[in-house]
Amino acid sequence: MATTASTATAKPAEQQTEVRRAQNPVLKRLKRYAPLFIMIIPGVIYLFINNYLPMLGLIIAFKDVNFAKGILASDWIGFKNFEYLFKTEDAWIITRNTLLYNISFIILNLIIAVGIAILLNEVKKKVAARFYQSIVLIPYLISMVIVGYLVLAMLSGETGFINKQILPLFGIDPISWYSEPKYWPVILVIVNVWKNVGYLCIIYLAAIIGIDPEYYEAATIDGAGKWRQITQITIPLIAPVITIMTLLQIGRIFYSDFGLFYQVPLNTGELLSTTNVVDTYVYRALINLGDIGMSSAAGLYQSVVGFVLVLLSNYIVSKRNRDNALF
Amino acid sequence: MVNTKDKIFQAAIHVFFIAVVLMCLMPFVLLLTTSFTSEASIVKEGYSLVPSEWSLDAYKFLWSDAENITRSYGITIFVTLIGTFVGLSISALLSYPMSRSDMPMKKQLAFYVFFTMLFNGGLVPTYIIYTQVFDMKNSLLALIIPGLLTNGFFVLIMRTFFQNSIPHAIIESASIDGAGEFKIFFKMILPLSLPILATIGLMQTIGYWNDWFNGLIYITDSKLFSLQNLLNRILLNAQFIQNNASTLNAGEVANAQIPLETVRMAMAVIGVVPLLCAYPFFQKYFVKGLVIGAVKG
Amino acid sequence: MRKRTNGIVAMLLTVMLVLAACGGNSGGSASNAGATNAAGGETGGASELKPYEMTVAFLSIGNTKDLAEVQAEVNKITQAKINATVKFLPIDIGAWQQQMNLMLAGNEPLDILVTGTGLNFGTQAAKGQLVEMDDLLAKYGQDIQKVVGEDVIKAGSSNGKIYALPSVRDWAADYGLVMRQDIVDKHKIDVNAIKTLDDLTAVFQTIKDNEPGMAAVLPEGPSFSVIQSMVGSVIDPLGDENGVLVGFDGELKVVNWYETPEYASLVKKAREWYNAGFIPKDVSTNQTTSEQLIKANKAFAFMAHMKPGYESKESLLTGTPLVAARISPAISTTSSIANIMFGIARNSEDPERAMMFLNLLYSDADLVNLIDYGIKGKHYEVKDGNIIGFPAGVDSSSSTYNPTHGWMWGNQLLSHIWEGDNADLWTKLDEFNKSAVKSKALGFSFTADPVKTEVAAVQNVKEQFKIGLENGTLDPDKYLPEYIAKLKSAGMDKIVAEKQKQLDEWAAANK
Repeated sequence: MATTASTATAKPAEQQTEVRRAQNPVLKRLKRYAPLFIMIIPGVIYLFINNYLPMLGLIIAFKDVNFAKGILASDWIGFKNFEYLFKTEDAWIITRNTLLYNISFIILNLIIAVGIAILLNEVKKKVAARFYQSIVLIPYLISMVIVGYLVLAMLSGETGFINKQILPLFGIDPISWYSEPKYWPVILVIVNVWKNVGYLCIIYLAAIIGIDPEYYEAATIDGAGKWRQITQITIPLIAPVITIMTLLQIGRIFYSDFGLFYQVPLNTGELLSTTNVVDTYVYRALINLGDIGMSSAAGLYQSVVGFVLVLLSNYIVSKRNRDNALF
Repeated sequence: MVNTKDKIFQAAIHVFFIAVVLMCLMPFVLLLTTSFTSEASIVKEGYSLVPSEWSLDAYKFLWSDAENITRSYGITIFVTLIGTFVGLSISALLSYPMSRSDMPMKKQLAFYVFFTMLFNGGLVPTYIIYTQVFDMKNSLLALIIPGLLTNGFFVLIMRTFFQNSIPHAIIESASIDGAGEFKIFFKMILPLSLPILATIGLMQTIGYWNDWFNGLIYITDSKLFSLQNLLNRILLNAQFIQNNASTLNAGEVANAQIPLETVRMAMAVIGVVPLLCAYPFFQKYFVKGLVIGAVKG
Repeated sequence: MRKRTNGIVAMLLTVMLVLAACGGNSGGSASNAGATNAAGGETGGASELKPYEMTVAFLSIGNTKDLAEVQAEVNKITQAKINATVKFLPIDIGAWQQQMNLMLAGNEPLDILVTGTGLNFGTQAAKGQLVEMDDLLAKYGQDIQKVVGEDVIKAGSSNGKIYALPSVRDWAADYGLVMRQDIVDKHKIDVNAIKTLDDLTAVFQTIKDNEPGMAAVLPEGPSFSVIQSMVGSVIDPLGDENGVLVGFDGELKVVNWYETPEYASLVKKAREWYNAGFIPKDVSTNQTTSEQLIKANKAFAFMAHMKPGYESKESLLTGTPLVAARISPAISTTSSIANIMFGIARNSEDPERAMMFLNLLYSDADLVNLIDYGIKGKHYEVKDGNIIGFPAGVDSSSSTYNPTHGWMWGNQLLSHIWEGDNADLWTKLDEFNKSAVKSKALGFSFTADPVKTEVAAVQNVKEQFKIGLENGTLDPDKYLPEYIAKLKSAGMDKIVAEKQKQLDEWAAANK
């Protein structure tokens, strides 16, 4: 354990030397870092073109767009495009659903993906480890539409696997899954974990593989068991990755996977009380209207909520450990 | 003593993973068998691992379009290779300087990158920029550049990896030895970062391989359809015809008799299998990252 | 503090650098946009005889491998008649909505496009993406006016101006039940005696008692409801069913359909059928078409909105002879006409020429046949009189041009008839259209823009309750009042009032 502690304290010392260097004359400093600035040029330009330029389009959210006049010359209408998001009894339900689902996804995905990644790293037979790794990724590769059909194969009232094979084993009567909203929070969480854990697991696995084996060797000499190695070495050392992944997901907490909430419940009206989220609400609202002002208003609303939450959580993180913060 | 404990631990892990594998694999097997089932038995009995009647109809239907599907495979492979390579390079080049604790303005840069993950101007402005400023409609570039080339998520994840798995000391010592930044990056940082490069590379590959959206909005020339785009279009057209068969003329009704349920699954199969075959290539790099100790020593 | 200002300055610097780097590009964007607007403003000044190439976007449904050859033949006709060439732009149905929205938002060459109530016509007209046609029609569209007729042509209007032209096809529908002939014969069901929904109940009971494993009735298809195919015989939906006219000869009084006793009795009927086991329990999650379920012996019948020749086509799909019980006369409303139309895009540099081409689509039989069926002798052969079919050795799988889109292109009555259909198909269709009961509001089309907030909220409420109530899976005693209450709180009354206002204005203008 001594090793971990000493590397952790080594960092501030490095930073001090940098602070001193930063006091050098500006020109010299520019020259020193010119190669690094050259490296970032392609990425900065790409993001500028691909993301920042189109952001001018955010004004669409405040306009009554008329293409005959052109987007810029269309009338400003203030927040009228946003009204439909709040002017419904369901606004509360949709907000609640979106947030609760995303919070449970963030937590469960994290625990399960890190758990599987740690266990994968413990598998001694390489062939087996590789095999497990590839299989866990399969669900991520299947599109949500197909997943919707596979879920139907499981849950269908008459021919479904669960109703026909599983429930009779326990002497339970068949359940009509698609008309009972109360089961869907569980179903959707399971489907989401099943589909995405493999993908997230790879990121954590890469982080674990990057850990210097010396730590474990030292720990083994100290007589630390597997459990202690995991909790005292592995998890602290991948904590920065965990933090960043969580922060990134918080930024998108008001968005949701449209396929999961629309295709998987097969757009069943009876289930809306537990399956309607912001994205599906907007989709349904605009099916017939196709109004681009209203759709960009929804996007802007989602972004702003995520932005505020992420600034807040980033602030909290940076209070505790500046290095782990997003920016 | 330690040995038996270890053996039990290993056995327990394997039992756990066999359960996980079953959960991930069973639905895929169901998908596979469904694609070989006759349409009639699906309508009658639903999906089944042991259908009452097997059939190759779905694949025969896709085979009738073999010429287009082969071409679209070619396009997808080309786009995936180029896109993954270029995108990975851009992401690595952007994220490495951000990871350096001595880099000026790194927080602002991180914010610049992160902001793109939250706000977007929507489809219409993006489309106008790519088609009218860069004239990319109906070009291969439209399948590579918009949206997919790199994104804030990849960049920030890579930055975190560089930050945490590459000791600053080795950069210092190399630079004292007179190595330039580019040399350090290409000769030291990249070889040390193979696991994360492989991870992000895999994600880029999956992104390009499964993308149908760029094709949907930027491509009208059927010669440039990528695989997922083509499959998506075939499926939606077949669906439309089936749902609107009553508007057709009698002679055209034959077109509406497509085994849709099984074709959908067969399409998923021919889309996923090549990716699974590519996976071991990335896995190869998952173990090679363990050389930090060697470099340090 | 000082450090932070430095940071901001540096940030600005980077942005400016980047801006400078892409300056050429963004400048190009702005000037392009300027050019767009200018071009949009002063079109039509060009001499009419100058050659012009127009882009015509259409829904690509079937096989159009030889489209280039067909296009060359089409251009021979159009060059001779209006000195223009046509560039066809087929777009798949799966890509249509996205690509058309984007093309109309951008500045791509596009002159003519397919549109309709289900294809965003309302928004396109309201957002200025389509060219207003009244003057063009008067000048260059005389044949269209003659063929389509004064009432029907108004179906493509918005705010009193015409923006799109309906193709000539079935402009009306009659409603009823389509049943398997063999089962009907087996149980000696008298099809002609079926006149009301209660008569249907008796038929369904017979099936339920005698044909185990077979659903007595299905909706028209997945994501339809059983009742949906009857609603059209009771109301004019005035577009979106938010505010309707009940009956077809009464006064122009818009009401909330879901509050009416007529609606209540329909959903009660659905509930009765569902409880009696006539409607399958998994109806709301069913993903299989009704035709396939009939083919697989899983069902006896489905509800449908029909037109002449409907049963014979459906029989081909189900592989078993079908017979229809029509329980309503043919009814024609704006909605049934405005499904498929042609509009002229704002992007067009010569809307006059576009109108001339549209006029040909309603008057030139050679042109229509060419587009609908391809080149004579190569893609089709005349079999007998007006009946055509594949040339010898060609079938639907080896054909190189079989686009199956006659219903989209102008005047379908000018085209040949494909073998398998009756030789008098078009005569029948024409009579059907002419004899249909016409809604009092035929030609009125609602502009949702002033109440779009309410329409958006109401749509979500409808998605939650409508199909469940109309398939009988939801108990109307409990859920119908809840449905009505939620519709009201979402602003249904405001939509109804707005629609009434627009309808009154329309009625005053069309006195």
